[in-house]
Amino acid sequence: MTFDELKEYISANYPDDMTLLDTGRCEPFYEVKAEKLVAVCKRLRDDEQLKFDYFCNLGGVDTGERMEAVYSLASYSMKLRLDLKVILPHENAEIDSVQEVWPAANWYERELWELYGVNVKNHNNLTRFLLPDDWDQGFPMRKDWDAPDFIRMPEL
Amino acid sequence: MAELRTEEFTVNMGPHHPSTHGVCRLILTLSGEKVIKIVPVIGYLHRALEKICENRTYAQCIPVMDRFEYVTAMSCEYLFSNAAEKLAEIEVPERAEYLRVIMLELNRIASHLIFYGVTAMDIGALTPFLYGLREREGIIDLFEMTCGQRLTYNYIRIGGVSKDIPPQFEPKCRETIKTIREKLNDYEGLLNENPIWLVRNKGIGVLPADLGIAYGVSGPVLRASGVKYDIRKDDPYSIYDRFDFEIPTRENGDCYDRYLLRLDEIKQSLNIVEQALDALPEGDIKAKVSPNFKPPAGEVYARVENSRGELGVYIQSDGGKKPLRVKMRGGSFNQLQVLPEIGTDCLVADLVAIFASLDIILPEVDR
Repeated sequence: MTFDELKEYISANYPDDMTLLDTGRCEPFYEVKAEKLVAVCKRLRDDEQLKFDYFCNLGGVDTGERMEAVYSLASYSMKLRLDLKVILPHENAEIDSVQEVWPAANWYERELWELYGVNVKNHNNLTRFLLPDDWDQGFPMRKDWDAPDFIRMPEL
Repeated sequence: MAELRTEEFTVNMGPHHPSTHGVCRLILTLSGEKVIKIVPVIGYLHRALEKICENRTYAQCIPVMDRFEYVTAMSCEYLFSNAAEKLAEIEVPERAEYLRVIMLELNRIASHLIFYGVTAMDIGALTPFLYGLREREGIIDLFEMTCGQRLTYNYIRIGGVSKDIPPQFEPKCRETIKTIREKLNDYEGLLNENPIWLVRNKGIGVLPADLGIAYGVSGPVLRASGVKYDIRKDDPYSIYDRFDFEIPTRENGDCYDRYLLRLDEIKQSLNIVEQALDALPEGDIKAKVSPNFKPPAGEVYARVENSRGELGVYIQSDGGKKPLRVKMRGGSFNQLQVLPEIGTDCLVADLVAIFASLDIILPEVDR
């Protein structure tokens, strides 16, 4: 399936769930509403024509006005690639966990929570892992986080 | 007589354990010598590379990418350059693409040679380490000859490569290929049929294909479980579609197959380098790209096949000099995530073998 066929297939089968974003790139980026995320992901994984069983990546983005979560998916057997984007408010952002669809998402969601402060609902282990355990200086990947000259070392 | 009592106990493996290849801490719950629970603790090498990239221009990001996965720094450089080229739709000259492929494949061989040595050393055989690093030296010399660096190259740039290869590169490269081909026989003779090696590796740490798929495992680890998935063939980048090479796979998905698969991959990579040297065209090595290069607003997720699985980068650009967001994705991250699944119910000594065979490197996990 080429990218154009993939676009056609998605517009025919997922008309209400996914909106094509114009990023001008060769690979399609789709917007998915936060409340539909888990259902759409499950359908994409189980769809016989697509089989998006490979969870490549999840990255948070802080544009200054809003938060975005970008899911990069691929298919081992159908050799396809797709990106989903969920747009979230800047403060008190919440998103559903997709780890029941792809267990691989577990650590990526922890990272999203830890570095961006996006609360991941239904996650089984939302604890710190990249930052020190006693980190209390906010969410360092946000744009408004001011990088200090010195960082206090954790007490030994 | 007092009643004998047994209880589980918790032990820290790492962060300074020699077999954790960096600083990874595994909190093990043991029952006797049997591992019943593994909790990986990471973050000791977290340098916030993604945040650093957000405060650099695109050209300045490339040396930062080198530090992302320093064992195959060429892949990281290529990855970022490729993503930026996709964003700005830059045409890369033919000769530069060939040089990139030569460097990428040589770097893959160097990484697998380190794997060969380090894995054997973790299991207790010191000689393979000396062998592996001796042959790797020839490749590192080639890199030094080309760009002056031995580990973090800053060689592949946006639009091409920084320098052309010197005239003595080609004969030296062919000689190195020949040496590695010969020495591979020694490598196989040393370990493939070695009874201790077989006992320590065969049937240990089996990763079933469906578990690997669920956890997003990629690269040699997944191919050793029988899934034929290689981004060089399945989502081709650069000029990989012009070369004739095979994607080796194995069936069992245990430590031994993961080891054999990497030796197979070295042979395939040697073929690719030879083909690229034969077909190397004359011409420019770099497209004209301004140092203050500003790609148009947009976003892209680029990925390459690295020696540790899929290496990916997501870049969002707002049209400015600096990227708005850079998200790096390394294969080790997923492989460490799957370790608690395949490492439980084995002995502590086997856990060392499993960890080594997954070929995890921690800077890639922590970023």
